[in-house]
Amino acid sequence: MITTIGFGLLAALLVGSALYVVRATNLVHSVLGLGVTLSITALLYALLEANFVAGVQVLLYVGGVVTLMIFGVMVTRRHDGIVVRSDSANEVRGLLGGGGIFVLLALSILESDLPSSPVGPAPSTASLASELLGPHVVAFEALSMLLLAAIVGAIVIARRRDFGEPRQDLVTRARAAREALRVEALRAEAEAPSPEPAASDAAEPPRADEALPSTDGSVPAQEASS
Amino acid sequence: MRSPLSEAPLAALVAVLAPALAALLLAVLPMVRRRGAPAAWICLASSVASLVSAGLLLAGQLGEAEPMAWTTSWLTLDGQGLGELGVNVDGISASMLVVVTIVALCVQVFSVSYMHDEPPDAYGRYFTYHALFLFSMNLLVLAPDLLQLFAGWELVGVTSYLLIGFYYRKPSAGRAALKAFWITKLADMGFILALAVLFTSTSAFRFDAELSTPLANVVAGLLFFAVVGKSAQFPLHIWLPDAMEGPTPVSALLHAATMVAAGVFLVVRADPIFAHAPDTREVMLVVGSLTALFAAGLATVQTDIKKVLAYSTCSQLGYMVAALGAGSTLGGYFHLTTHAFFKALLFLSAGSVIHAVHSNELADMGGLRKRMPLTATAFIVGSLALAGIPGTAGFFSKDLVLAALEGRMGWLPYVALMTTAFLTAFYMGRVVLVAFFGEARGKADHAHESGALMLGPLAVLAVLSLGVGYFGAHFAEVTATGEYHLHFGMTPAIASGLALGGFALAYAVFGGGRDASGVGVLALLDGAARSALVDRTYEALYRHGMLNAAAAIGWFDRYVMDGLVNLSGWLTLVAARSLRRLQSGFAPDYVFAVVLGALALAAWGYLS
Amino acid sequence: MTLTTCLLLASALFSVGVYGLLTRQQLVAVLVSVELMANAANIVLVAFSHFTASPLGQVFTLFALAITVAEVAVGLALALLLYRTHASSRLDAAKEMNG
Repeated sequence: MITTIGFGLLAALLVGSALYVVRATNLVHSVLGLGVTLSITALLYALLEANFVAGVQVLLYVGGVVTLMIFGVMVTRRHDGIVVRSDSANEVRGLLGGGGIFVLLALSILESDLPSSPVGPAPSTASLASELLGPHVVAFEALSMLLLAAIVGAIVIARRRDFGEPRQDLVTRARAAREALRVEALRAEAEAPSPEPAASDAAEPPRADEALPSTDGSVPAQEASS
Repeated sequence: MRSPLSEAPLAALVAVLAPALAALLLAVLPMVRRRGAPAAWICLASSVASLVSAGLLLAGQLGEAEPMAWTTSWLTLDGQGLGELGVNVDGISASMLVVVTIVALCVQVFSVSYMHDEPPDAYGRYFTYHALFLFSMNLLVLAPDLLQLFAGWELVGVTSYLLIGFYYRKPSAGRAALKAFWITKLADMGFILALAVLFTSTSAFRFDAELSTPLANVVAGLLFFAVVGKSAQFPLHIWLPDAMEGPTPVSALLHAATMVAAGVFLVVRADPIFAHAPDTREVMLVVGSLTALFAAGLATVQTDIKKVLAYSTCSQLGYMVAALGAGSTLGGYFHLTTHAFFKALLFLSAGSVIHAVHSNELADMGGLRKRMPLTATAFIVGSLALAGIPGTAGFFSKDLVLAALEGRMGWLPYVALMTTAFLTAFYMGRVVLVAFFGEARGKADHAHESGALMLGPLAVLAVLSLGVGYFGAHFAEVTATGEYHLHFGMTPAIASGLALGGFALAYAVFGGGRDASGVGVLALLDGAARSALVDRTYEALYRHGMLNAAAAIGWFDRYVMDGLVNLSGWLTLVAARSLRRLQSGFAPDYVFAVVLGALALAAWGYLS
Repeated sequence: MTLTTCLLLASALFSVGVYGLLTRQQLVAVLVSVELMANAANIVLVAFSHFTASPLGQVFTLFALAITVAEVAVGLALALLLYRTHASSRLDAAKEMNG
């Protein structure tokens, strides 16, 4: 009885929070709503006597994914306090697609002959562990490779310098500065019949390198040539 | 000499493969070819091998050996070969092989001296072509079925093209080579179609295919079209006079003795097919007679000694075709054999004269009898044989031909060929009188007799021109083409009389070195020859017919066919332009499509 | 609480996710919707595990969780890239494929 009430409550909360997630106009609110939804799902897992999964759900999903999402929102927006709007469009299309899928799924679920109560005792965490590290150990290990690959891939995609405008600007400016230095040095060498060209050659490159970090575009060419 | 049975195919293979090997060797070893003389030796060696093999084969056939073949299936499909490839030795092929190899060897020996002034690389090239030709001709002669014969047929066509255009720096030689090639190729369409018809009806290319009369008429008619091209019959004879642009020994071998006779040989070979095609034979009779008369008329007014001989060749080939059309395979084939010897003799003698005079024009010759007595003798022997004076080879074979024509088609072909016999004697008499008698003119003053290498072949051929006629009975027996009877009736008498009359008239007109080219009927014929009516007709057909038709087809292709292609392209573009609106580039649209697809799939699965 | 009601609940959540997927314009919001759908699938797995008394459903849920995390990481990296190249994380900003 208590489970039925609890399930009804959780179900209502779950659907409500999910709807909030997809309807919220503020993107940060939406993501936080997802965190709520996932937490309630964890509770549902607990109700279904899957305690370990519930724990993992809270730790990994609520703690990891939602945090990541928030970071994502923050990174893709300027931090000037503007509310990140997540407007929606194509309401009809969404209702049609979502409603159609729900109707079809519900129809097929209601037609199926499904057990109304558990056929045995709930599987223990120990049995879960022996399954994971027993028959499915290869998949388990492969999964770690997948995670590694995903992390590396994410970094590679996110760190593409040639797309980042500020960085590109920095590199271009550094190159221009270096080029200007070289030209200036050549001109100085041509103008002044220096008795010891070797000394000036040796003196210039380190200074050019020192000038590189300067990103404001004012190349210290005069310093180098003087 | 008797040839054991097992040696016959081997000898035949040698006859085919020795020249092939020589040609291949010279083709892939440029350093040998460009040195000239070694190439000549290799070519001659292969020809000697071929001649010896051919002699063995003919001896075997004379010695009652069975006809035999060594063949292998070619392009086997479903256990059945498309055609047979190999050698087929019987009386017909063995005798033809001997004729071909004798003439070829004589011509090649003659060429060693005749072509001596050529640069070494051209000299080597010349003998390479000769080896290739001998291989092709032997392949043709020994062919076990029509398919291989066709291969040889085309190969000799190619070598003919190469040898006519041997002096390729001369534009007229190049044009003549192309003309010969195109016209014979046009005619060869008939051969290909005949092969196609034959294969679709009998699934083979056999010479002795059993065909119903209408079908045989079709096949034989198509084959005869190819013969008209190859053997220079009217109206496709126009390439042969131009082919005289090639070196004179080449004219002797290819364009007098062997290659042009390949057409006649084809008819002899495929006699079983032609025997069932009476309508085609009628046509052959008409075409052959017409060609004989027409070409003889033109030969009387040619000023170029080689052109006289070329038209004479056309005329004599007409004789053979007419004989075959009259159903006398023996007559046609025997005339081919004798003609090969005396026409080669005439051409080589003419070559000897040209070599000495450095001109083809009769006007530049004269009085050569004193300066070149042996060549003159050879030429006169050839002329007598060609005119069919009793005792020479030409008499016997021409007699057979004329006897076969007695009473055919209201005696018209008979009369035509009799007239031709008269004209033949007349124009040969003219050449002999103008070139060898009378006063020496122009360059002929410094002419001197040719060397032994040139006179030797002349002697051999002269002996054969005189003597071969007496072996008619043996020839008929070994080739099994008919019964040989020497006629002592009216026909040989009339023919001999006309021949003598022709010589007499020639003497009356040209005797004493008079140049009477512009007199009476001769002037008329001269005008006809100069007008080159047949050539002009072809030209007009080409200019007004072919080119306009091609332009019309070109217009059709450019605007109708290309229009269809462009229309399909345009339709594709229009369709794509409207379809691309589906691609919004907006990710949720694609997701919606996926959802719809999933829904449709699920609904389908749910409802069914 | 029967298996049927659990599955219906999961279906409802999944449909809500589809709705979000179709209507949201922000790439991050789309990712959130995808998370909802994945969560619904996980609920189905756990529910079956509970009612059939088999640990397999939970095992697969754990796998699915890990994979979802990987997907989110990559998805967010893509969002970052979208923002860099188009100065916006809205999906309609990237319509180069518009025909």
